[in-house]
Amino acid sequence: MKFQIEDVTVYFPYDHIYPEQYAYMVELKRALDARGHCLLEMPTGTGKTIALLSLITSYTLSKPNNPVKLIYCTRTVHEMEKTLAELKLLHAYQTTHIGDRARILAVGLSSRKNLCVNSRVLAAENRDSVDASCRRLTASWVRAAAAANPNLPTCEFFEEYEKAGSNAVLPPGVYTLQDLRAYGKEKGWCPYFLARHMVQFANVVVYSYQYLLDPKVAGYISKEMQKESVVVFDEAHNIDNVCIEALSVSVRRQTLEGARRNLNKMRQEIEKFKATDAGRLRAEYNRLVEGLAQRGNLPFTDNWLSNPALPDDILKEAVPGNIRRAEHFLHVLRRLVQYLEGRLETDNVEKEGPVGFVASINTHAGIDQKTLKFCYDRLHSLMLTLEITDTDEFLHIQTICDFATLVGTYTRGFSIIIEPFDERMPHIPDPVLQLSCHDASLAIKPVFDRFQSVVITSGTLSPIDLYPRLLNFHPVVSRSFTMSLTRDCICPMVLTRGSDQLPVSTKFDMRSDLGVVRNYGRLLLEMASVVPDGIVCFFVSYSYMDGIVNSWNENGILKEIMQHKLVFIETQDVVETTLALDNYRKACDCGRGAIFFSVARGKVAEGIDFDRHYGRLVIMFGVPFQYTLSKILLARLEYLRDTFQIKEGDFLTFDALRQAAQCVGRVIRSKADYGMMIFADKRYSRHDKRSKLPGWILSHLRDAHLNLSTDMALHIAREFLRKMAQPYDKAGGSGRKTLLSQEDVEKMSDGILNEMQY
Amino acid sequence: MNNGNGRRLNGETEEDDDDEGSEGDLDAWERTYADERSWESLQEDESGLLRPMDNKTLYHAQYRRRIRSLSSQATTSRIQKGLIRYLYIVVDLSRAAAEMDYRPSRMAVVAKHVEAFIREFFDQNPLSQLGLVTIKDGIAHCLTDLGGSPESHVKALMGKLECSGESSLQNALDLVHGYLNQVPSYGHREVLILYSALSTCDPGDILETIQKCKKSKMRCSVIGLSAEIFICKHLCQETGGSYSVAMDESHFKELILEHAPPPPAIAEFAIANLIKMGFPQRAAESSIAICSCHKEAKVGGGYTCPRCKARVCELPTECRICGLTLISSPHLARSYHHLFPIVPFDEVSSSVLSDPHNRLPRSCFGCQQSLPNPGNKPSLRVACPKCKQHFCLDCDIYIHESLHNCPGCESFRHLKSPIATEE
Repeated sequence: MKFQIEDVTVYFPYDHIYPEQYAYMVELKRALDARGHCLLEMPTGTGKTIALLSLITSYTLSKPNNPVKLIYCTRTVHEMEKTLAELKLLHAYQTTHIGDRARILAVGLSSRKNLCVNSRVLAAENRDSVDASCRRLTASWVRAAAAANPNLPTCEFFEEYEKAGSNAVLPPGVYTLQDLRAYGKEKGWCPYFLARHMVQFANVVVYSYQYLLDPKVAGYISKEMQKESVVVFDEAHNIDNVCIEALSVSVRRQTLEGARRNLNKMRQEIEKFKATDAGRLRAEYNRLVEGLAQRGNLPFTDNWLSNPALPDDILKEAVPGNIRRAEHFLHVLRRLVQYLEGRLETDNVEKEGPVGFVASINTHAGIDQKTLKFCYDRLHSLMLTLEITDTDEFLHIQTICDFATLVGTYTRGFSIIIEPFDERMPHIPDPVLQLSCHDASLAIKPVFDRFQSVVITSGTLSPIDLYPRLLNFHPVVSRSFTMSLTRDCICPMVLTRGSDQLPVSTKFDMRSDLGVVRNYGRLLLEMASVVPDGIVCFFVSYSYMDGIVNSWNENGILKEIMQHKLVFIETQDVVETTLALDNYRKACDCGRGAIFFSVARGKVAEGIDFDRHYGRLVIMFGVPFQYTLSKILLARLEYLRDTFQIKEGDFLTFDALRQAAQCVGRVIRSKADYGMMIFADKRYSRHDKRSKLPGWILSHLRDAHLNLSTDMALHIAREFLRKMAQPYDKAGGSGRKTLLSQEDVEKMSDGILNEMQY
Repeated sequence: MNNGNGRRLNGETEEDDDDEGSEGDLDAWERTYADERSWESLQEDESGLLRPMDNKTLYHAQYRRRIRSLSSQATTSRIQKGLIRYLYIVVDLSRAAAEMDYRPSRMAVVAKHVEAFIREFFDQNPLSQLGLVTIKDGIAHCLTDLGGSPESHVKALMGKLECSGESSLQNALDLVHGYLNQVPSYGHREVLILYSALSTCDPGDILETIQKCKKSKMRCSVIGLSAEIFICKHLCQETGGSYSVAMDESHFKELILEHAPPPPAIAEFAIANLIKMGFPQRAAESSIAICSCHKEAKVGGGYTCPRCKARVCELPTECRICGLTLISSPHLARSYHHLFPIVPFDEVSSSVLSDPHNRLPRSCFGCQQSLPNPGNKPSLRVACPKCKQHFCLDCDIYIHESLHNCPGCESFRHLKSPIATEE
């Protein structure tokens, strides 16, 4: 269908559109018009992705003189593929309607592991080793050597790609990762480098968050992007954590030992070069003396890691004199490693700011701030000079240099925390030195500054006013949309009491109470007997889950549950969890019924969908607060309070509730689906907690369901499941229009729009 | 469980008036509300006021909708109906059947309505046969073989009403599949599963069993008693059956009775061909003979197979000796209306009613009661599109559901003779 939003003609590939999609597009269009950033919350299953894609591409089409580029960031490769598939559909629709003018180039970009077509390289097991083995075949000196000696292996795909030179371009179209691989195989060109090259010219780029947020990668992948770009962060409810992780480094004893080994190896290399090819080292030294930042004049492939998004003035400065010589630099690093080793030998928890830490490095190891700042660049340059291709083996020293550069660069928003052992296992010494970033806005600031519009969207962004403060930006539009439903297909409940009317909670002083444990067990047992197919349970932490499952096992509740359904448990081991999930699905498929025990903030809570019969009920046992005694969390809370005036309690509640919403949101993935959500903790009935849930859950949370006991919840569940099993009319009957045709959209007044907004 | 026992006894003795009779064991205070449940039909309007209840029009509207949906199916394509059905009713008697959310228990409610269904089934499908299977302790038992006598099925079911253990859909399907695979190809193989449990505990891969059922053209339908289960839905989708979940007892009754009229036959399911049937004569009142079904000497009654002269007690059945299908002509005639249903009556629009030039009949053609004055309510009368006679709502329902003949058309046929006999 085709319709008009103000001055933009929107091409939408389906015959019908949900009213909330329309409202979403209107808001998005206003944000694009204003060239500002926006925050949009809309529940999953309402077609956010297609609404975004069709509006932004249509927007470009109707303003041909200043085209906008779309940069779409997803969290996982799977989501990337899904987005590209939708875009393909949209593109086909647009070209049939307006012909060649709608032609675009859209590429997905992922790591070598997902894009490589060379079977020898793909044999490596993890991402880092794939990268390294690719470099071993494509680095400029390897290729130079191979030119002289044809017996040396090179990558034929890369050679072909290089040979084609500027002719190696992708014709317009939408390329999923698979399409890229197929195209690369057909032409004999390396899909990875082809995609990386095409990213600059493509109208739509789909890739992972890291390419924009992680300064190490962003520098070289995304630097060519024009200002007139729209950046979309999809499923962005955890974007602050991604930002923080991108700038945090942790150093353990193994890291330091590894770094020492790396340094020894490098010293040998230097010795070797001195004996055979002293000119090379000399040339590097000269280049550094001249203050030429080496970036830009290097061949494409050697650019394996670029420096962090440092303030521009650093890039203009020359590398300081004391580390220009390779041996001197190695000495500096050795002293740094030694110093860090000394710091790890502590018995107490220590917390320090970057300024104090740098000062103490200066006095003890004699390395000043400026030197630290340049570690990263200097190491990079040295490794190129030494022609090191096994980059995966040099990860340790790279970590150390990351650390040094970050410490040297930022004076605020970070802290260094040294813990001699894990709090939960005090008898096992495991010293760790963490440089933790507290300020999510640091990593994302360049993105906000550089691009015209940044769209942050997800199913759960509530409370929506907190994100601008955390990320330190000013959105022109921030809105939350509800879902228009033909029937009330979600049934959230707050369960505060067990069947014996005693309150249930995972509050620290209550969680080990036998009564609470028993009440939770009875709840699950009773629910297992009335809910068909799959049930998903989320616990607040692994240790709590272990404990409660153990005591359920002891008092026989688990056995009773097993009579109704099979039980599967998430563990920290990925392979084990995948297997458990597989079998869980199988048990749901064949009608046996199953329960999956999982942990909020775990892998399952973030990425796995429990739609349709895989999740008819999700129970959230307790409020998933973070571990509040963690030093890092405390430091971050303190920073947030001092800098952004966000109260500790507010942040903790916000964080816990968004996790809870994320967990329970797993069961509804489309409008035809239905599911129940039980928040089993008395604290959810308090307004300050509850009100932070997303609007689309809150609007279905009836007052009568706020303070339930197990037997009442049971009754509601029975009724709900019966009601949902009845056949229903998909288009929505009397009064509530949930599917709009073209005519409906045309005559749609603002009245309906306002209804949709929350 | 006391209630269940009491119910069973009552069910045996007072089978005919099942609705009133079986409520006898409820307490007095329960009884007043048990059938009516009037509070459930209360509705609020937008401002929160209670809406005056008009059950009759509501009921009639429901009925009209049903009739219309049925006739729309029939008119769009000349649908063949499978009149010779071989139906197995699978009753789930696992632990879940003891739940008390239906009063007095699921299993008692199921039994009560299965009994009504069996009678209705034979009434509507005199050429068909039916058998009972129960699931208990994860094992499927065959309660009665395929047969044409309602009494024996009802008796067998009532005698076995106790539940325990798990439920296994696969075992039940396997068992039924074994039986139904042997029935002749002209018959329609159907399974109706009344499922209380929410899971199935199977010995093997149930998906394979479902494919097997699909291949042998068994139409499996499921009525759930508590919630939608994926595997049941899958089963029904694959085999072309219908899946429904009962909201309460009256809904359950409605759902189960929907299975009584023959389903539309899918061309590939049953190939139309000629079937050999015998029309036995009723034996003389005083003759004494040993009947082949009970192996007992009986005085009077019974029928004699026209081919082998064996004596059988009831019709319709299959002759024990020569295997001939025995049937009486009234049975055939009773199936007839499924093939030629009467068209739904049209509502008389208010514009016609308010037109003073139209002289409309004052009374219903069926019951001769005077039809109420139109007023501003929509239609309180309907008209047969063929004979143009007007009927009241009660007669409308009676004609379509029980009589299957339009009094108007029939009487005109007698008056004007040959023209109307085009059927």
